[in-house]
Amino acid sequence: MAVAVFFVFAALAIVGGIGVISFHQPIRSVLSLVVVMISLSVLFLLLSAQFVFAVQIIVYAGAVMVLFLFVIALLGPARELGRGRLRFQAWLSGVFVLVLFGLMYALLQGVQYRQPEKADLSIFGSVQWIAVYLFTNYLYPFELTSILLLVAAIGAIYLSRKRTGIDDL
Amino acid sequence: MSNLTIGGSTLDASWFLGLAAILFVLGTVGVLVRRNPLVILISIELMLNAGNLALVTFSRQLQNYEGQLFALMSMTVAAAEAVVGLAILVDIFRTRDAEDIDDLSELRG
Repeated sequence: MAVAVFFVFAALAIVGGIGVISFHQPIRSVLSLVVVMISLSVLFLLLSAQFVFAVQIIVYAGAVMVLFLFVIALLGPARELGRGRLRFQAWLSGVFVLVLFGLMYALLQGVQYRQPEKADLSIFGSVQWIAVYLFTNYLYPFELTSILLLVAAIGAIYLSRKRTGIDDL
Repeated sequence: MSNLTIGGSTLDASWFLGLAAILFVLGTVGVLVRRNPLVILISIELMLNAGNLALVTFSRQLQNYEGQLFALMSMTVAAAEAVVGLAILVDIFRTRDAEDIDDLSELRG
């Protein structure tokens, strides 16, 4: 049963991934990415990561993708014409990523995993469990990411301000 | 060692890692081949998601908390990066209609 769930959503994720890079209209790429994110969140749930599953749907599929959709609505349809400066760019990229995939496969072959720690699987990945580590061991990254988000918001507001003449560009 | 017992059946962690590798490679193809800057940003998000899947898989396999926390941090950083990247893109599109990423390779506004 879990195997079936995995294969269904893995296939959905791969189809969505191919859709992201293949569609000519950016809106369809964004919607394919939403499909990928939702199937990945189901896979997170399968891997006992309840909080990450919820955060993936709320933050990634619900906020970041909506932001992308707003920008596409703002910028309008795009026409992707013209070739690149490099001949056979698509074929070269295909060769390159096949080499990359082969490298990843080769690197994962001789890996010796360390012994898993015996964690309590009934609370593994739950909100309380994550909260304990987030507010004790990982307090610094937590506070720093909040500052990072503040800086990103300020930067976005400043970059998209209305220009008042040639001195403001 | 890489067998995970999930819901009564046994899955292999390397299936999840293989899926993460495939998604990462698809994102890389998108970044290399596509010419629209928006689609390039979307492909970068795909790569980040593949990395998050690998992190959560390792967290489940080693029964450790760090992978999931790292994935949360990675999601936050990816959101911040998407915000700033899209703001830059909106600003560029305000003055000129850039359909091709190679048109944006000069620093001149």
